[in-house]
Amino acid sequence: MAGSGKAHMRPEGDRVLVVEDLTVEFKIAKDKVVKAVSGVSFDLIRGETLAVVGESGCGKSTLGKAILQLPKPTSGSVNFLSEELTTMSKHDLRERRPSMQMIFQDPVSSLDPRLPVSEVLAEPLKVWNKGNQVEIDAKIDELLNAVNLDPKVVRDRRSYEFSGGQCQRISIARSLALDPTMIICDEPVSALDVSVQAQILNLLQDMKDRYGLTLIFISHDLAVVKAVSTRVMVMYLGKVCEVAPPDELYLNTKHHYTKALVGSVPIPDPDRAVTKGLIMGEPPSPMNPPSGCRFRTRCPAATELCANEEPQLREVSLGHFVACHHPID
Amino acid sequence: MSDTQVQPVIEVVASKKKKKPVGFYIASTWIGFVVLLGLFGWLIPVRSWDSSDYDALGVGPFSPHHFLGTTQDGYDMLSGLINGARISVFVSLIAVLIGGSIGTFIGVTSAYYRGMYDRVVTTIFNVMLSIPNLVLSLALLSVLAYSDENHPTTTGRRVMVLILSLIIVIIPILGRIGRGSALQWSGREFVLASKSMGTKNFTIIKKHILPNVAPAILAIGFLAIGSVMIVEGSLALLGIGIPGGASWGSMLAAGRGNIAYSPHEVYMPALCIAFTVISCNWFGDYVRNSLDKREAKI
Repeated sequence: MAGSGKAHMRPEGDRVLVVEDLTVEFKIAKDKVVKAVSGVSFDLIRGETLAVVGESGCGKSTLGKAILQLPKPTSGSVNFLSEELTTMSKHDLRERRPSMQMIFQDPVSSLDPRLPVSEVLAEPLKVWNKGNQVEIDAKIDELLNAVNLDPKVVRDRRSYEFSGGQCQRISIARSLALDPTMIICDEPVSALDVSVQAQILNLLQDMKDRYGLTLIFISHDLAVVKAVSTRVMVMYLGKVCEVAPPDELYLNTKHHYTKALVGSVPIPDPDRAVTKGLIMGEPPSPMNPPSGCRFRTRCPAATELCANEEPQLREVSLGHFVACHHPID
Repeated sequence: MSDTQVQPVIEVVASKKKKKPVGFYIASTWIGFVVLLGLFGWLIPVRSWDSSDYDALGVGPFSPHHFLGTTQDGYDMLSGLINGARISVFVSLIAVLIGGSIGTFIGVTSAYYRGMYDRVVTTIFNVMLSIPNLVLSLALLSVLAYSDENHPTTTGRRVMVLILSLIIVIIPILGRIGRGSALQWSGREFVLASKSMGTKNFTIIKKHILPNVAPAILAIGFLAIGSVMIVEGSLALLGIGIPGGASWGSMLAAGRGNIAYSPHEVYMPALCIAFTVISCNWFGDYVRNSLDKREAKI
């Protein structure tokens, strides 16, 4: 029962990012609007890792890009380090860009195939005039060492000479170049082998501790999310379903959609019966979302109330919020 | 973490470079030769190309004073071809260079910025492309460089108008290629990454889009040199190019009536045009293949 609401906001904390009622709509034809993100609110406390999970097309990547104003959201507010980004002038927004960075899903596509690694990493430094060539070179070596790549070996190579995991390390190094406050990781390990995933996740954790970062971690992989996050936000069709710390979310699932998601994580045990029939079918079209709770069309517990009234996020236990009229006991 | 020393997976492939095809050597030699002729041909001590030798009207190739023979009016073929190289090379190179730069700029910016600007540009390109090259330049030439007995036009003016009309023909051809290629590259995540770190739009175009679009543009640009040469020749053949046998095309035009008496008048400039066009196509293909590094080799 995906809904809105702000019960999960924490105004007393040291908040890096406050997103309120964020809506992103894409006009695809005359009077045809895709509602990718509808009224999402959340906040991010310094040093925390917020995981955003949901199936493909639920608007999690769009949410990440909208926070960076690429493109600007249709409505709502994005408050970063106590400054409103949505109404900011182009020039001012550009000045804020170094403190918020993004890492993308496709590691190969994230790097310009024509530029050697040294140029890729020098780009942010040159754009912001961070020192002369000697200082930039020193910084590049420091960044490469930080992500466990040997500067002497990799400096002059181009992206197509690396594996996916290595490309992702370079992307991470690039996002660290400007000493950001917050990094939005958009499915950073989805395209990688499982063994490499662990390396990259460990690396992100190390970097977070070392540089004092605040992370938004967008993913569809619940196992990955459990390993990295301090708070998980489950999204369905552009709305927030449930917000909770990861252990609480897995042990004490309240939302029917989250339950389906958790249940669909494959368990490597051949004797175990395959869990079937958790939720059926495809998500409804974001062009014409269901009334009330957006999950009601696939929800086993849906009643008439769900069709008429949109559920609001409410606290069910300490730090655990759910937007559902009929939460799981 | 244990993997402190990560080695790149693919060793540098430069060591085992592929052998260049023979066609590449032939093509580049011929192009180099023609360009040199165009630039320094006037230094070669041959007869004047526009004065007639009344003692040798229409002699064949390898005659004592005229290595490649003369036309029926006694003009020396060798000097004519050398002089013609200058106009042909000058006209097509300038037209493709200027038209290609303008077209690429318009195409790439319209693909990058999208929106209304892109829609207008695409529409104009489509309209221009729907008119055949030859007809378009024919129309431009006959309007801008109209000449009859009462309004004589200088050769200089005709050359300028010819180049201008060829530029207008080239702009949508290369513009569309540039737009298509830039469209693909601007969707890449490294462009978004670049935006998110605050790089200015123009810097992104200059640093990320243009270098990646370049192989496609270069390959089509070389093809365009070939087609421009053909258009120039066709215009001359129709009698509205550069008059008086000053270019290869117009030599062909001037000599076509004498094909029964002195066939070398026609086939020599025709061969020159054909060789140059084929060489440009070959060279363009080679350039594209060698620049087109696929990044997805993993």
